[in-house]
Amino acid sequence: MATSIPRVEDTRNALKKHKIVIAGVGETEQGKVPNKSSFQFLSEASKLAIQDAGIQKTDVDGLVTAFSLVEHTFMHCTTFADYFGMRPRYFSSIAIGGATAIWMAAEAAMAIISGQADVVLCVRGDNTLSGISSSGMVALIREMCHAEFEFPYGLTTPGGYALAAQRYLYEYGLKREHLAAVAVTMRKHAGMKENAMNREPLAIEDVIKSRVIADPLTKYDCSIISDGGAAFIVTTEEKAKQLGVKKPLAYLWGMGQGYSHQYLTTLKDLNQIYTAVETSGQKAMKTAGITTKDVDMAFLYDCFTITVLLEIEGLGLVPKGEGGPFALEGRMEIGKDMPVNTHGGLLSQAHLGGMHHVVEATLQLRGEAGPRQVKDAEVALVHGNGGIVSAHSTIVLGQQPLS
Amino acid sequence: MSEATAGKTKYEKPLPEFRPETKPYWEASKRHEFILPKSKTTGEFFFYPRALSPGDDMTHDIEWVKASGKAKVWTFAIHHMGPTPAYKNEPAYVVALVETAEGTKMMTNIVGCDPKEVKIGMDVEVVFDDVTPEVTLVKFKPMGK
Repeated sequence: MATSIPRVEDTRNALKKHKIVIAGVGETEQGKVPNKSSFQFLSEASKLAIQDAGIQKTDVDGLVTAFSLVEHTFMHCTTFADYFGMRPRYFSSIAIGGATAIWMAAEAAMAIISGQADVVLCVRGDNTLSGISSSGMVALIREMCHAEFEFPYGLTTPGGYALAAQRYLYEYGLKREHLAAVAVTMRKHAGMKENAMNREPLAIEDVIKSRVIADPLTKYDCSIISDGGAAFIVTTEEKAKQLGVKKPLAYLWGMGQGYSHQYLTTLKDLNQIYTAVETSGQKAMKTAGITTKDVDMAFLYDCFTITVLLEIEGLGLVPKGEGGPFALEGRMEIGKDMPVNTHGGLLSQAHLGGMHHVVEATLQLRGEAGPRQVKDAEVALVHGNGGIVSAHSTIVLGQQPLS
Repeated sequence: MSEATAGKTKYEKPLPEFRPETKPYWEASKRHEFILPKSKTTGEFFFYPRALSPGDDMTHDIEWVKASGKAKVWTFAIHHMGPTPAYKNEPAYVVALVETAEGTKMMTNIVGCDPKEVKIGMDVEVVFDDVTPEVTLVKFKPMGK
């Protein structure tokens, strides 16, 4: 794998030369927050990130946004620029589902390295819980399924993940509780995160006995739907210093993508998913000059419990088929072998497509995670997946400049 | 068997959004024939149907071949919640990815048995469900049942 990754050295040299950093982060309140529009959440998160960095709005000259499930617009980034009142030199909307948030950091870095911008605001927010219409929800469920050859069979988005989960359990002879353990760990972490939507403790039994959505998945295997916004500021170390940023900087060490399929119909086998995760992760880790042994904590896209297992195995942090037992033994918890989603993830904190994964990784590297702080946290691996474990993106963040 | 004739109510579940290039497939289904597209260049079957072969040959030269109708369950999920309001109060149903004898995978429903009887690796055979006068969905049932 390693030798087949093209142009790792080029990316590495560019990141070393420009010293790309996350210089500020912002999170609004999360959960059920009625009476706030999608663009209000985007604006509030942006303001918080700008203030956290201690810079001025006028210092921001690049904008990367995603999409909204409520406010439908073909040009999301510029629509937000208009609402927020800014005229960026560089602007882009990314729409690769759950791979989006992680890739925002990479895209911002590429814009900076190529001279398109110096200070890029990456922001996502939505009033998904309060604002989505029932037809919008059907459209969202259908989005993951082929409209002609999958949706007519009544496939749902949780159902798609259940198909992956069923096959995973079958191939490795694992049980329902191996999936449930992921939800339990996420909830434990969310209990220590002030703005988490669901904080009350959860037991394996609670997960298994909760409402069946698509067998083998139940309610607590599925991520929550929430309102909220989050943002981060990407710039260079030099620019951050010039602007007087006081917060510790989190350095971008590597980035990568990997693609498997869009529709499960065209998936050959589970290995195809692992390969996409591995391709994405290896590109990021090789660029960073690290191996899995150097990773102190992982932030893995957890829209459903199964994705965490496929990702942690595909990334090579745990051997294939051992993610389930790893979760059940509590080894994803803070203070254990490989802390995963110390903020509670999409399963328990909030669902903003992985924005909080990037924010939390940054807070951890800054040593600002309070009761959730991972001891000696120096290297974070952040992974997103869009579609039904289809499209993958990974970044590596470090506490020190890439050397 | 047919949900349309059995219930005598209007079929309100999602119907396929037809594309021009998939016309032969749906016309065949309506005749209760299960056909699969195959690249004439590489001889490989593919699914879902496309105008060009998704293989590296990118050929337009595609033939439709009558399939054996035999498949194995590769994975399945028992849906207790459907994607639209039309599924409200419906019993749980099985959405499955099956691997056809021709080597392609397809999404389908396993019908004609209790959802609890469905297993990975189970042999299944094609069955046609005329959900509306215009649309027939290709589904599968346990072999010989």
